[in-house]
Amino acid sequence: MDSEGVKKAIIQATLQETNTANARALIEGITGSCFEKCVPKPGTSLSSSEKTCMSYCVEKYIASWNEVNGTYIRRLRQGAEGNHH
Amino acid sequence: MSSALNLDQADIERLNDSDKGELRQFFANEEQKSKIQSQSHALTSLCWKKCMTSSTFRSGALDNGEKACLANCVERFMDVNMATVRQLAGMGGRH
Repeated sequence: MDSEGVKKAIIQATLQETNTANARALIEGITGSCFEKCVPKPGTSLSSSEKTCMSYCVEKYIASWNEVNGTYIRRLRQGAEGNHH
Repeated sequence: MSSALNLDQADIERLNDSDKGELRQFFANEEQKSKIQSQSHALTSLCWKKCMTSSTFRSGALDNGEKACLANCVERFMDVNMATVRQLAGMGGRH
């Protein structure tokens, strides 16, 4: 492997690692929050209304993450610009 | 999905200076990205509790009230964060 190949392998492995870590954190957040919301009193199996709630909740949580991430990044940028004045 | 990195010392030594520099920049960017993402995870979990107040979900989309609540939640969290840092910095000066 030449320098270019080594570099590419490192970059690819790193991206895969960070993507996996991000996905894992998102799944953890979804499971915790949506279980709390949709299954307040766990029964002997998941009811169909609990399942419906879960599927809405997963979508909502991902939309929330995007909203929060976008607002956070916007705010960080503003802060960075503010420091230049 | 798993293509584990399989490099040894000899491979690493093959990196030229220009590629080393590029990698350094890449890692700095990735580190920054990771920090922001993990803060977003923490904030989403925190703000979700405050903003998702309806007892059941009837859709997978965010309504305008929920969107505004999430944005305000992040903004005010940052205000509190900055105010705390400022207050502690002020206290440090008195010792």
